[in-house]
Amino acid sequence: MPRYSGAAHQKEDMTISRRKFSGAFSGAVTASLAFPGLVGKTWAQGATIKIGMCAPVTGPAAESGRYAQIGAKLAIDAVNKAGGVLGKQVELIVEDDQTTNPGIVLAFSKLASQTDIVGFLGSIRSTQVHAMAPDVLKIGKPVMIGGTDPALTHMGNQWLFRFRPNDSYSGSVIAEYGVKTLGKKKWAIVHSTDAFGTAGGKALTAGLAKQEGTTIALDQGYANQSQDFTPVVLAIKQSGADILGSYFTFENDLGVFARQLRQLGVTIPYIGSPSIVNITALKLAGPALYGTYGVADYAEESSPASKAFGKAYRDVAKLAPDNQSSWTYDAITVLCMAINKAGKTDPTAIREAILSIRKHAGAEGEYNFDANGDGLHGYNIVKNDKGNVVFDKHVESAS
Amino acid sequence: MDLALQLFFTGLGIGAVYALVALGFVLIFRATNVVNFAQGEFSMVGAYLMVVFAVDLKWPYGWAFLAALGCMALLGVVFNLGVYYPLRNRTFLPVIIATIGASIFLSNAVLALYGPQPQVLQGWFDTPGLQIGPVYLDSQYLLIMVVTLALVAFNFWFFERTMLGKKLQATSQDKEMASLLGIPVSAMIMLTFVYSAMLGGVAGILVAPILFVSIQMGSTIALKAFAATIIGGFGDVKGAIIGGLALGVIETFGAAYISVPYKDGFAFLVLVAFLIFRPQGIFGERVAEKA
Repeated sequence: MPRYSGAAHQKEDMTISRRKFSGAFSGAVTASLAFPGLVGKTWAQGATIKIGMCAPVTGPAAESGRYAQIGAKLAIDAVNKAGGVLGKQVELIVEDDQTTNPGIVLAFSKLASQTDIVGFLGSIRSTQVHAMAPDVLKIGKPVMIGGTDPALTHMGNQWLFRFRPNDSYSGSVIAEYGVKTLGKKKWAIVHSTDAFGTAGGKALTAGLAKQEGTTIALDQGYANQSQDFTPVVLAIKQSGADILGSYFTFENDLGVFARQLRQLGVTIPYIGSPSIVNITALKLAGPALYGTYGVADYAEESSPASKAFGKAYRDVAKLAPDNQSSWTYDAITVLCMAINKAGKTDPTAIREAILSIRKHAGAEGEYNFDANGDGLHGYNIVKNDKGNVVFDKHVESAS
Repeated sequence: MDLALQLFFTGLGIGAVYALVALGFVLIFRATNVVNFAQGEFSMVGAYLMVVFAVDLKWPYGWAFLAALGCMALLGVVFNLGVYYPLRNRTFLPVIIATIGASIFLSNAVLALYGPQPQVLQGWFDTPGLQIGPVYLDSQYLLIMVVTLALVAFNFWFFERTMLGKKLQATSQDKEMASLLGIPVSAMIMLTFVYSAMLGGVAGILVAPILFVSIQMGSTIALKAFAATIIGGFGDVKGAIIGGLALGVIETFGAAYISVPYKDGFAFLVLVAFLIFRPQGIFGERVAEKA
């Protein structure tokens, strides 16, 4: 279980025997799930303020998980350098979610068994957030998430706080840009069939319904980790669509799809969900994504705060920043800010402090939390200009 | 018709990949009577080795390919000595579990050594493909099909026309009798592992420019290849090839004409149908026990 406290950059390994660990772990998990109230009262005994993070250290999203950890650690460094939280240094404890639903449930259970953790970072993947949500409700502590399925903050779970604009915004922004700016009205929609992709497809359909004269020529789902997209590409061709909108969960799939799209001669304008401008997707797809558009919650040139984060990230990671790292950076920053604002680590006080945050300039944009726990309400439109992600404009959604 | 032609070509291409991996399954099964669940990971390791030699070390593709194959041969030796040989006198179950353990070990070893980042491996040709009438022929898929056909021909020649191939066949059919006839059974089994590891490596290297090089690439292909071996007839080389190609075509057409999200389901639906109605597969022989 990697631990990180910004000042010391320490990693500790658990060296107790497996039997002792299993016993202690299962007991602690049972206790934490059965008596969340008790857990809430016992957290703040340590010398540091602890934040737990579920991240894909292994599995298909392991690369983006690394970016997410870098973003979070950058924020921890900044917070600790500025004096920490409630006079204590902040420590990050990372648990591998294996990029799977059972993996994140286990990872969250492990973290939740540590009663002195005051808040958590969940997943950027909606399907994983859905999987862990029942346990979040039982634990009753704030969990920062990056999943963009609108339902996540609308299903009565008061402990989820979102650090990316949800898909109801991305759908309406994609629709508005495609229709009003690019002048295209006959749409093909391609989306994964998991929670993220399904919600995204619905959001785009809803967004298009608000634009006059638009038709949906094709609404095509696909299963994650597909090896071949020929049937999907041929369906797009046959539909006669003049513009394509997509919600891809995994960059590998997007890379395979984009290449086959170009190979089979589909050249219509293409606007994708944020994964289309992820570093991994840009690397894998290469020229196949040149000239495409994307809605991006993070765009380096969109604001001074985004630029500052981009510079800090490049210095450390030696890579261009993307939303995988920016949302965790903002989540840690806002969580720490809220704890300081609350003056204590009581979960309810932290929750109220997060919801009261207004006009906070984060890497992803300006945070104004609504009652549901959504912090951002608009998207940036960016263009892939021969592999460089170029900021076009920010669209604040009315929905 | 244009659509069907395009789907048929793509289905054959992806099916040829399944066939290559299935061939590795079959050869090891024939020699040892166990299923090697690390066969998919052989593909993944082969692809990563190609990245090491061709991308990182910038060797010419031909040399990088030969070096990767050499390393795969070595992996076959190590796999045989470390996973199969210590358990050779046990029932098939511990060996199968050991191969599953080995597959997990290989995945995590590559993850630890190379990191989680998917890698890009360029295709073998500068031209990405050919447009022949309405059909686009991806050059990498064409290469995979040619290599698969060549390997089928090689397998036929090797197993039917050479003494070494016949010794391998004799070992797979009856180890005790082969041993009594003076055939070095352990060496033959090791050779089978070496050949299967190289086959897996070839499959991974060929498919990498299409699916990218990632830790998961092997397991995804192996599941389908395993289904292909059952459909074709477990233990039959022809069956593995035909089963793999058929599976690729069935799932591609199923995705296009019935449902894309259930594409993987078609492969396993066919598998279940075979298990119910023709469990010996297309080319397998019915095995009956004497009363």
